[in-house]
Amino acid sequence: MIYRVFYNLFCGVVTVLCLSLSAHATPWQNLTGEQLEQKLAEKFSAGEYSSKGADSCLMCHRKNEAVMAIFDGTHGMMNNKQSPMAGLQCEACHGPQGKHNKGGKEPMIAFGKDSKLSASAQNSVCQGCHNDPKQMAWHSSTHNLEEVACSDCHTLHSAKDPALDKLSVNDTCSSCHTKEKADMNKRSSHPLKWDQMTCIDCHSPHGSMSESALNKPTINDTCYSCHSEKRGPVLWEHAPVTENCVTCHNPHGSVNEGMLKSRAPQLCQQCHAPDGHASRAVQEPGMDAFGGGKSCLNCHSKIHGSNHPSGSLLQR
Amino acid sequence: MRFKLNIITVSLLAVSGSAMATNFGVGNANTDSINMDKYQCKRCVSTSGYRGEVSVSAGYNSVDDIHAGNALGTAEDGAIAAVSGDIRYQNETGYRAQMQAHQLGMDNGFANIKVGKSGLYELELDYQSLKSYQAGDVQSQLWHNDGMLTPSPYTNEFDLALKREKSAIGFNYGEGIYNTFIRYSQEDKTGHQSSSLVAPSPVNFGLPVDATTKQLDAGASLSGDNWLTELSYFGSYYSNNIKDLSLPHMNDVYSATPDNEAHQVSLSGQYQLNRTVMSGRLVTGRMIQDDALIQMSGNPLQSWDGQIDTLDGRFAVTSMLSNRLRLGGSVDYSKRDNKSSVWEFTQYSYNGLSGSFKQNVPQDIERNTYKVNASYRLASGYRLQAGYDRKEVERSYSEREQTNEDSLWAKLNVSAFDTFNVNLKASHGNRGGSDYEVNEVTSSQENALMRKYYLADRKRNAVELNVNHSPLSWMSIDVTGRYAKDDYDATEIGLTESQDFGYDVNLSLQFSKHLSAYGFAGQQWIDSAQAGSQSFSSPDWNADIEDEFINIGTGFSYGGLMQDKLTLGGDYLFSNSISDTSVGGSLVTANGTQPYGDYFSYNHSVRMYADYALSKQMALKLSYQYERYYDTDAAQVATNAVPGLTTLGELNHDYNAHQVMLSFSYLLR
Repeated sequence: MIYRVFYNLFCGVVTVLCLSLSAHATPWQNLTGEQLEQKLAEKFSAGEYSSKGADSCLMCHRKNEAVMAIFDGTHGMMNNKQSPMAGLQCEACHGPQGKHNKGGKEPMIAFGKDSKLSASAQNSVCQGCHNDPKQMAWHSSTHNLEEVACSDCHTLHSAKDPALDKLSVNDTCSSCHTKEKADMNKRSSHPLKWDQMTCIDCHSPHGSMSESALNKPTINDTCYSCHSEKRGPVLWEHAPVTENCVTCHNPHGSVNEGMLKSRAPQLCQQCHAPDGHASRAVQEPGMDAFGGGKSCLNCHSKIHGSNHPSGSLLQR
Repeated sequence: MRFKLNIITVSLLAVSGSAMATNFGVGNANTDSINMDKYQCKRCVSTSGYRGEVSVSAGYNSVDDIHAGNALGTAEDGAIAAVSGDIRYQNETGYRAQMQAHQLGMDNGFANIKVGKSGLYELELDYQSLKSYQAGDVQSQLWHNDGMLTPSPYTNEFDLALKREKSAIGFNYGEGIYNTFIRYSQEDKTGHQSSSLVAPSPVNFGLPVDATTKQLDAGASLSGDNWLTELSYFGSYYSNNIKDLSLPHMNDVYSATPDNEAHQVSLSGQYQLNRTVMSGRLVTGRMIQDDALIQMSGNPLQSWDGQIDTLDGRFAVTSMLSNRLRLGGSVDYSKRDNKSSVWEFTQYSYNGLSGSFKQNVPQDIERNTYKVNASYRLASGYRLQAGYDRKEVERSYSEREQTNEDSLWAKLNVSAFDTFNVNLKASHGNRGGSDYEVNEVTSSQENALMRKYYLADRKRNAVELNVNHSPLSWMSIDVTGRYAKDDYDATEIGLTESQDFGYDVNLSLQFSKHLSAYGFAGQQWIDSAQAGSQSFSSPDWNADIEDEFINIGTGFSYGGLMQDKLTLGGDYLFSNSISDTSVGGSLVTANGTQPYGDYFSYNHSVRMYADYALSKQMALKLSYQYERYYDTDAAQVATNAVPGLTTLGELNHDYNAHQVMLSFSYLLR
């Protein structure tokens, strides 16, 4: 009888503590980031894992929808031996329970924007398993140097990670890359604003061994992966085209047609001023063949290069 | 002495200890006391079976300009229908399947299927259809058939639109330390694009497009505790089904884009030594084009042996020397070696057959990039980063064979305040190089004062300030301002100056679990100045180009209505792109500059939806989309408005388009 009263009392206290902790400040809230990291590192090396795994955690956290959503996704799969739920379960990522369940006095490894833990410490959890070629350039990447945490982009406690969905990845990227978000809406741009293309078609958010974290070794190689007709080589090359597509184009968008930095004839005249027609002042666009229609491209239509034996002027 | 040594040893250990990374990786876990036999996971939820949703949509499009198809997913005017879905399946033994489909049945849609066993193998099938619309009902007097463009009194009406249809199959296999993948895709691109030929006066026409690109990628990777390596191959094969084009009175007036292929083999790796990480890659590639050349007098070849060999390498290292200081650096090398042969070919001047011989110019390009950077935490919440980059480019047959650009940059990140994050970036770059020479091979007739902007001396200064403020738990505001200026000091003719500045404000509001809203606004200005010389001497005309972009958007989502059954939402977007050019100078007018004509576009886009749950399994969604689009370009003129020039007509847009859709969704579980 006394045992039962004590048991009920204990359960009640635990429940009240759990509920109060989920709604109020935690005892470790006043720790600085460094102190928290130190504390968690000590706890991690002590390795005091719970005796019942996820059941110990879910005793308190099972009413939290966000927590339970882990079972909807890959990380909650119990039959995949690489999944955390098939191993140390919740503690595989959140660290050993220690005395966390005894009045909630000890912190756990937490993720997300409210976590005081450094990005590198948070990311070490993910990298413990995700050590594949896609992450090969992570450490030198801008996202790592800018201390972006995996959880800033990725959501694990859900059926689907928005960063891995073709229809929402652009929103994930453009929530920080606001200039590029605006560029999508310019007069000409790649069809990103309708999610017909995604940022990751060209860029690797985990970093790459190319400039601007591009997927391919060079800028031009990246463009050729969709515009293979521009790859050539061709008999008569246009030197700035061969050297770098972004000499003339801004792939994120432009107020000019064709994602051009300026339109013809002005763009062409920023490089061509020969003793001939190309250096003439074009005062109005629709008056003659120099400013009307396709401007310089009325004649020099093979602007990306020509394979015609007589095509050195990129006309045929 | 021994005691002192011990003190030193302990101190060193303490220092090295403090420089050790906090690594919470599961591989480092102290699992001595764990007995996983007691893990029962009674409270865990099994998600075996099917989950997700399938939806069928039907609706109506009101489209009178096919350009609206870009935003509406299809340019069909009238009834439309589509199937979408997102289904996942898994069973107790670890088999999984995922299927996602989006707007199948419309011009823009995709489907993706993945099946396999988690962590062991996966088969992927992918299909995507992507259609981009430029203009509809374009008119030309030229009719294309099998390489012949025949002029006709009957008008040929067609759409300037390109459709890409891509199918792919991929398979990956591996677990733990090894992984392999192979992927094959094929993309067909069809439609018409605007082009032009010289006959001998210029005639714009709709170039038929019918091409296929095949891609084969394969690779294998191996990993250990602190290393990782991957060997991969990428092959791409482009083939064009459109032949060289002729006019009845003029053979081969327009050469077809030749078939080509490219191959790359890449070896990459990463090695981690405590808090130092090294990564590197070597990619060797070859691009080949040996399509048959047009046979004509003055062409000595059946086909040309176009071949580019490429070599790209990189080595990067980054190290956390202490918990405050990170140092990094990288070296990049890229070589484009043009191995194609050089021959002489007859060239025609535009007004007749008085040609001369000219050699093709196989340009080589070699790049070296060096970067060093440091990041130092000044105090908790204050971090300073700085770096130096040097980019060297060497190119043959060019006015400037060497250019090098040195850049210094610095960033200050402040995250010490609870509700504020501040990031300040500044950079200074300086490009110079070898003497700028007018090269006989490339530009014997170029004005000696011309400096091509991608080769010219340039000073580039840029600054950016970003402030993120979360005054309340449900509100976040992000403000960014930018300014950049390029000065081409040594340029008298060509691009002389460019300024790019602007701001954007993004507001995010989460009023409650059910109600959220957002808003953003931004403007950008790009002002550039250039000079030219019609008299082939000093500058006698100049052009000022003032680009402006305005972007405003807002939206909301309100769920939880009618006992959690109804969600309402809406989005509005406005964008306005303007480019104003004015031409002035002594040649043009003594009284100032001459405005160049309209060149702008604007777009209002509204989307609204109501999502109603009929039951736990079924839902209805009613959505409406409105697109108002206007663009104009004074260069667009009627077909024969300019003597000696035949255009495709005025291809400007001015339309209102509407789409109403009703979707029925069935939720699995």
